[in-house]
Amino acid sequence: MTTPSGTSRNPWGTWAAVLARLILGGVFLYMGLNKALDPVGFLKLVRQYDLVHGPPWINLVAVTVPWLEAFCGALLVAGVAVRGTALLALAMLVPFTALVIRRALEIQAATGSAFCAIRFDCGCGAGEVWICAKIVENTLLTLLALFLTACRSHRWAARPFLLAAGTPGPAREPSPAP
Amino acid sequence: MPRSARLILEAGAVLLVGCLVALLANQLSPKGLSLSRDYFPGASRPPTPLPLASVPAPQANGQTNPPPAPTNTTIARLQAHGIQVADSNLVIQSFHDPLHAQELIIFVDARDDRHYQEGHVPGAFLFDHYRPAEYLPAVLPACLTAEKVILYCNGGNCEDSEFAAVTLKDAGVPAARLWVYPGGFSEWLTNGLPVETGPRKSGVFKEARP
Repeated sequence: MTTPSGTSRNPWGTWAAVLARLILGGVFLYMGLNKALDPVGFLKLVRQYDLVHGPPWINLVAVTVPWLEAFCGALLVAGVAVRGTALLALAMLVPFTALVIRRALEIQAATGSAFCAIRFDCGCGAGEVWICAKIVENTLLTLLALFLTACRSHRWAARPFLLAAGTPGPAREPSPAP
Repeated sequence: MPRSARLILEAGAVLLVGCLVALLANQLSPKGLSLSRDYFPGASRPPTPLPLASVPAPQANGQTNPPPAPTNTTIARLQAHGIQVADSNLVIQSFHDPLHAQELIIFVDARDDRHYQEGHVPGAFLFDHYRPAEYLPAVLPACLTAEKVILYCNGGNCEDSEFAAVTLKDAGVPAARLWVYPGGFSEWLTNGLPVETGPRKSGVFKEARP
């Protein structure tokens, strides 16, 4: 339950939100930086998905996605624009997961391997992964992003609401009457 | 303003600032990509699946399939550029040819610096075609004077040797002198051929281990 001031009355919910922010933000930051530090490697992986062709589009995707992920991760860890950033993370996670599954199905069709026996570098930032483990991981991250998008409890957040000046902020003690 | 609209606006603001940060970081990073450069010259489509799958399909007898051989598509694509395909025998023969010692036959490693330092064909030039400004000035004069230039990368479905060959061709090296070795460094190791580590002509060799 959330108070009008944005702090939760449920301490478990408050700490769950902090934990969710740190996990989702930490994963995004780590994965994003891993890709950002090897842009050529990521460019080659983007090409494997055969979604965008030729410069400047494929280069633009390879340049922006890793840094955008790292940026979102940093915002979540710091607690800046939490709900908007979580919504953006959600908007990235869902299509990325669908693309990874599509790619795994292509590999499965070409190799005849069992679906969960497929291990490949999906360009997610952690090298080669087992596809089923990746799907579970992304599902959990999606749930965290959904939770943070809906949640209005923001303990230990530097600036949880970017656009709402004066609305939900940290609870303050009422000023004593003069 | 309704809360949902504010949420979407906030996400949009984060997206916009994030993209600007990305472009700025790319601009400042020494590893940054050029937005306008074609990093995959001569290739319109990526190879159909397989390249990244590391679990080959088991055969009925329990063995795994050998690494994929160069496909007819790869050969046709290279030939369309006037570039030749070198098999293992031709590569070994060229390596032992006296012209190799005179640098009239040269090997060009199209992988990145890290892989090159870990091990390369002895005397091979490093040409990471993703960073032409860094490597082309050193490799181009050698390619222009050589009679035969053999390019390789990791082998299998690695395409970097193809892209490097097309880049060299575009830089003025006659296509007739360019050979791509699709078996690549993995086949070189499998054949137990000598491997040099560190910089070019370091004189430090290691045992070939596939």
